[in-house]
Amino acid sequence: MFLGIDIGSSSSKVALMNDKKELVATAVVNKGTGTDGVHSALEQAFLKAGITKEDVQFSVVTGYGRVTYKDADKQITELTCHAKGVAYLIPGARTIVDIGGQDAKVIKLNEKGEMINFGMNEKCAAGTGRFLEVMARVLGCGLGDLSDLAQKSDKTVSISSVCTVFAESEVISQLATGETPANVARGAHVSVSKRVAGMCNRVGVEPTVVMTGGVALNADMVRCLSNELSSPVTAAPNCQAVGAIGASVAAYETFMARREQ
Amino acid sequence: MSDYKELIAELVAAAETPAKTIKKSMEDTGKKAIGCFPLHIPEEIIYACNYLPVGMWGGKTDLKLCDTYMQSFCCTIMRANLEYGMKGTYNFLSGIVMNAMCDTLKCVCEDWKIAVPQVPIIPVVYAQQRKSEEGIEYMKAEFKRVRHALEKLEGRMVMDRDVENAYEMYEDYRAAMRDFDATCVNYPITMDAYTRHLVIKAGFFMDKAVYKEKIKAITAGLKAQAPEKFDGIRVIATGLLSEPNEVLNIFKENNIAIVGDDLAQESRLWRTPGRDIKGSVWEKMALRMADQRGDCFLYEPDKQRGEMMIEMCKARSAKAVVVFMMKFCDPEEFDYPIYKKELDDAGVPHLYLEVDQMIDSFEQIRTRIQAFAEQF
Repeated sequence: MFLGIDIGSSSSKVALMNDKKELVATAVVNKGTGTDGVHSALEQAFLKAGITKEDVQFSVVTGYGRVTYKDADKQITELTCHAKGVAYLIPGARTIVDIGGQDAKVIKLNEKGEMINFGMNEKCAAGTGRFLEVMARVLGCGLGDLSDLAQKSDKTVSISSVCTVFAESEVISQLATGETPANVARGAHVSVSKRVAGMCNRVGVEPTVVMTGGVALNADMVRCLSNELSSPVTAAPNCQAVGAIGASVAAYETFMARREQ
Repeated sequence: MSDYKELIAELVAAAETPAKTIKKSMEDTGKKAIGCFPLHIPEEIIYACNYLPVGMWGGKTDLKLCDTYMQSFCCTIMRANLEYGMKGTYNFLSGIVMNAMCDTLKCVCEDWKIAVPQVPIIPVVYAQQRKSEEGIEYMKAEFKRVRHALEKLEGRMVMDRDVENAYEMYEDYRAAMRDFDATCVNYPITMDAYTRHLVIKAGFFMDKAVYKEKIKAITAGLKAQAPEKFDGIRVIATGLLSEPNEVLNIFKENNIAIVGDDLAQESRLWRTPGRDIKGSVWEKMALRMADQRGDCFLYEPDKQRGEMMIEMCKARSAKAVVVFMMKFCDPEEFDYPIYKKELDDAGVPHLYLEVDQMIDSFEQIRTRIQAFAEQF
């Protein structure tokens, strides 16, 4: 069995792949680096697959917490893992937009599904899942409710501040002047989409565009990004675990390559 | 002759402790020092006036005082220089020479007069039409004006002959640097990204006559060794400067070697030789500026930078270009889309790293560099 672990800033993800390169189990725990989230995710995945730690032939860790995690055989970046994960799940995909809790990434793939270019946002919460968390808090709803709320909107409230802290103040002002939470929620999605679309344009967008990361669970956000890019955007299946799935693919490939040598 | 590896270690240590190195250079030569702000300062004239030219390329410090004059969107090299000036760190300098090649430099020039009055400033302004006859004449006059300003500071006259001698010494230094740079291509393990940068940087804090001999000895020492077998990734670096140093160590961790550069702090300073003509030293200096290619701080209608980097990649078997984009450096930012397209069209991959000198956390940069290495 081949193990992929993705330790992100706000969640831990695990994927298990068998020696036929078939995905056997995934687990997502909403606790990130520096917590016991990774151990919980491992327990869940092992339980689902009906295996123990001893059954793992090779493991790869990725994500923000990859450098400090010492129990894996190899560590590689989440960019490479997302590329491998998407190429495994959606063959033919050429552009990946991964919006996670702490950062946003755009990855360009070649026809073989190999990463050929990428872009990442700078150290700033704008254009990331954190921005949407802050917006959800101001709007008094859960992060998971933001999509449904935005779909009730009848217009888009413009959020001009690129800084999350200033945007929070701006949104409070908008609500105070009578804008509806639904219109503000749509505005937040458009704001993130514009920010990410700028990065996409730097890297270069080619269809099929696939969205990964927890924010891909937000259907309205996926639609807003599609509008900004003027291109259909597909949310990856098991979108939160794509990095871990890619890590399990990397574990499989590394093990097989070493066995051939 | 010292062992070349000892010389490498000596220069690395010299670059790691600039203040100590400058103090020692001043003591050893008995010269007073003149600070040189970034980009094409005519050091020959300073040297001819019997001053020790020392580089001023910012550094990591808490930025507090400089914010009286400079906004947060100014590049950190300029902010750090002004901060050090206001803190008194540069009080040992007899003066500084600064050009006005970007909007920030133009403003810092004025700010410095008010904020750091104890360290006199001598501005130097290059001609935009630097290849035209009028541009050459203007630059000759400008270089003479700088000499006159330094003469007033030093209180003695400096002859053309002194400037000619200094120019010849600097030409020898520039030739030594080109030879060193070309030689490093074959020794990417000994001259890893960090070591190569610091050996080059040490020259900003030493007497060039002393430094160039050490460089020549290192080059000779390297050439005496068999070329190194390197299974890592060879890249060309471009931008203002390849700092902070921690970034270069991440290159080393990922088995990436810098085998050539188009950096303002490195080869742009010495890659253009002076013309072999019989004119005056002032003409030679002006023509050397006119002959500069591919420098975003110098007006160039046909923008040769991308083409030059592509050629360098081919010549040095480099697989990619690494862009060290200094945050808020407009001239570098404006050039990027132009050479990016040229690199893309030529199939040369590049890694874009936005850097500034005050970075404390390197995790995101580590991810970018590692992901880039994983592509090969």
